Amino acid sequence: MQEIRARHRSQTVRVGLGAVLALLLVVSVACGNSTSPQGKQPTTTSLGNGTTADSNTGEVQSTGFNLADFAGLNANIKGSGSSFQQNYNLATIDLLHTVLPELKITYAGGGSGQGKSDLADGVVDFAGTDSLVKPEDAAKYNGQVLYFPTVVAPITVSYELDGVHELRLDGPALAQIFSAKITSWNDEAIAVLNPQTELPAIPITVCRRADASGTTTNFTKFLDAAGGADWPYGSSDTVDWPSGTQGAQGNGGVAACIAKKSGSIGYVDFSDAKAQGLAGALIQNSAGEYVEASLSGASAAVEGAVIGDDLTFDPINAPGSDAYPITSPTWIIVLDTQRDSTKAEALRALLSFILTDGQDVTFTQSLNYAPLPAELATRALAQIDQIKVG
Amino acid sequence: MKVVSPNSLTGTRLGRARELAFSAVTLVAGLSILALLAGVVAATVSYAWPAIESQGLGFLTSTTWSSQQETYGALALIYGTVVTSLIALVAAVPVALGVSLFVTEVCSARFRAPIVAIIDLLAAIPSVVFGLVGALVFGEAFQVVFRVFAGPTANGSSLLTAGIILSFMIMPIIASITREVIATVPGQYREAAYALGATRWEVITSAILPVGINGITGAVMLGLGRALGETIAVALVVGSAIQITADVTQPGSTMASIIANRFNGEGIGIERNALMGLGVLLFIITLIVNMAARVIVARTKRGMIPA
Amino acid sequence: MAGRIEIESAPAKFPPVIDAAKRSDVRLVTLSLRRRAKDHLGTVALWLALLAALVPLGATIGVLIVKGASLVNWGFITGDIPSVTGQTVTSCSEITPEFRAKYGLSCVSPSPGMGPAIVGTLLSTGIAALLAIPIGILGAVYLNEIGGRGRIAVVIRFFADVMIGVPSIVMGMFVFTVWVVRFGTEGRSAFAASLALACLMLPIVLRSSEEMLRLVPNELRHANLALGGRRSQGVFGVVLPAALPGLVSASLLAIARAAGETAPVIFTIGVTQSLNASAFGENTTLAQQIFSGAKSGLPLANELAWGAAFTLVALVFGLSLSARVVTARFNRNLKG
Repeated sequence: MQEIRARHRSQTVRVGLGAVLALLLVVSVACGNSTSPQGKQPTTTSLGNGTTADSNTGEVQSTGFNLADFAGLNANIKGSGSSFQQNYNLATIDLLHTVLPELKITYAGGGSGQGKSDLADGVVDFAGTDSLVKPEDAAKYNGQVLYFPTVVAPITVSYELDGVHELRLDGPALAQIFSAKITSWNDEAIAVLNPQTELPAIPITVCRRADASGTTTNFTKFLDAAGGADWPYGSSDTVDWPSGTQGAQGNGGVAACIAKKSGSIGYVDFSDAKAQGLAGALIQNSAGEYVEASLSGASAAVEGAVIGDDLTFDPINAPGSDAYPITSPTWIIVLDTQRDSTKAEALRALLSFILTDGQDVTFTQSLNYAPLPAELATRALAQIDQIKVG
Repeated sequence: MKVVSPNSLTGTRLGRARELAFSAVTLVAGLSILALLAGVVAATVSYAWPAIESQGLGFLTSTTWSSQQETYGALALIYGTVVTSLIALVAAVPVALGVSLFVTEVCSARFRAPIVAIIDLLAAIPSVVFGLVGALVFGEAFQVVFRVFAGPTANGSSLLTAGIILSFMIMPIIASITREVIATVPGQYREAAYALGATRWEVITSAILPVGINGITGAVMLGLGRALGETIAVALVVGSAIQITADVTQPGSTMASIIANRFNGEGIGIERNALMGLGVLLFIITLIVNMAARVIVARTKRGMIPA
Repeated sequence: MAGRIEIESAPAKFPPVIDAAKRSDVRLVTLSLRRRAKDHLGTVALWLALLAALVPLGATIGVLIVKGASLVNWGFITGDIPSVTGQTVTSCSEITPEFRAKYGLSCVSPSPGMGPAIVGTLLSTGIAALLAIPIGILGAVYLNEIGGRGRIAVVIRFFADVMIGVPSIVMGMFVFTVWVVRFGTEGRSAFAASLALACLMLPIVLRSSEEMLRLVPNELRHANLALGGRRSQGVFGVVLPAALPGLVSASLLAIARAAGETAPVIFTIGVTQSLNASAFGENTTLAQQIFSGAKSGLPLANELAWGAAFTLVALVFGLSLSARVVTARFNRNLKG
């Protein structure tokens, strides 16, 4: 309680500072620097929406999230969906709540499937998802779905194995483990990749998702691409996992499943894996290198990815020797036509924050996420204008 | 003196109108149950219908439940539901029976009320709390035990764990109804048996149990009904795998647990309708079990009148 | 010596008087080893059953107290639910000072709190009670006072029993597809959850209230008629007040059950971390927080779950115990 009061007091000072900053921004905008948000600029450019992008460091230098734009905003928006981005979203919402105390945002998690489903049902105002809306489902939404990428992070292959400090796995081995063709840790297929490590002769327990998950889609996309014939189950939010594998709810649930028993392995987002203190395997990428799950590996994977016009992209099995091959994109999706103008404004506030100050690399790293590449963030920021009330 | 019916005692027209309103309001309140149930049945069945229609009989007979293959067969889930409930009964019934007999036959009168109170209070613990304790504490402990008996692949999140946690929940229900049934066994039967020189155990097996068997069966079936519909505790400890396996130390799913796992997430496409169909199926099964239980218990109470 | 009857002098045709203290001697003489063994084993089995009943349940309560009781203090009951993000104090302090200053990030360990869940539980259960209890009691009045054994009453009783058997998760799906998505207020809300809970409570309140009304002696009703009262006057003036403790007890038990329900709530209520005292807009309950905390492996999430579980069980026990106290007084009133 005292923290909130203290924040309120210092917030008054900051709103004043923000107003001054906003004035400066308005002046700079009025003096007009137009630049195309797409395409690379060789130097830092000032863009009309209060950010500057440095394409060399990949960092979005923000002159600040425009607090004054949204000061006093009194609105209530709700979201649900991806547990992959949940840690980031909850921290973001907490931050926004201190500087915009009348803006109430809730994020329910539940998996990408729930997010997409809730948005189509009109039960939420925004959704988090790591997998795309299928083309045949697009008609079920009351409007066009806009994809706003927020952060990127690796999907770790986490395991709990006493005495094994480094584990190397390639696509085929992973596919065989997760399709239950390999059932013991000291199997030949794993041992041949890890000649220096003493692998115990205990059975493998596979932890995977029981709910509809975008993380599952991205992980199985990798198994499909790199595992070849060893992975027969395709790629989808829910997959027909073989018998003997154990299901859990949410990325947090899979992390808990792995942490609980020795001999378990599963796919977990980087943030939850780090929070749970799990060890991650080194995965062989498309260049043949064994790469550990890291934020730099994730950023490397996204650098090479092709960004679509709708801001969707696929960094799975990306080229590059530093790229971590199981890097997951994640988006907040909203409908382009909003019925309520205060809610539309609230959505703009949330997205503007995420795509400006929310890209602060120390902030995202403290939660174990990597920020977007600079141009992607600015393109996404510009897409906010497509949210209309009607 | 002429016998008058209550309503003609009202006298004034306002009074009669008040009586009419009273009857009408209470009737409407009673009928609301019918309306509500009709609404629930209509809404759930119509929502489930597209899925059931597309699956046909395969909805009941197929073991595949897959959104990728757009096949929704409930057999694996029916299996999981039946297996966990049976394990729960096997664990709970002897204990419930034993406790009830203890309270009525062995226990001194001083301790009867406290023990009964404790068991009834324990019946009030919400199932999510059992799920929490099962998921965070008992599951791991059970896995250690399972691996001793069933080998190294035994899992703490499995059908067996779910069955055991379920038994904790249904034991108080079965115990309290069984206690009532045993209490209504006429005292003469018991006294006659003692008079003939029977030991306490022989009195139980020869005089009490045979007489109360109907009621006890009814109690067991009511416990079964509760176990069938139990969702949250099972969802937390059952391991969420859709498979039919004879090894109960492996993960599985029940009808209720898969609904809890997937309903929120599958609104696009037909899986949510199929889950609703599972719910309707579960409702029908629970209904049959509960109705049978009530018939059996009612028949017992009538048969208890001493000759 | 008058008054003393000795066994030796008793007439031969009477069986020997068996002194209770000497019963075991008699049993030693008259019972075969097998029968005695079975009896002893049987008694042991019953004691084991008692143990098997009390130990696991005692362990559950014990774990709950050990892990949850220490967390529950005034700050826990009133504080907001902290976000479980995995962010540590160390990683937070690595954020640039300007950023932290702008957003008032104080980088302290979050303190567990469940205030919004407690309010949400009271709100959803309270609204459900307001919906279900009056209708249930009025329906019970119809069944017992007016309908009796009539056809409509029989049908109502039958369908009430059917409805008690509806699994709670089916009720949750029903309210979600009908209210949350289609005909109701936008999005998930405490009101939607209370609709589902009311549907679950209604048949239970109806049947148990009917039992309570049936226990009221008919003399009271006849006395009312004899004094010239109408049937409705009798119900509201005589029968309901006499049955009041029983009705209160039945209602408290129904409320206790509703407070612990999770399955219908997870589809209908959404989530919130800060207080939402309104029936509309997303909310949360203790049961839902326990469920989500149980799925996670993070210490903070588990702590929240234990604290919420302790609070919920305390609440439910409080309601159940109150119901028993009221019932005890009811029984005394009826007998007196």
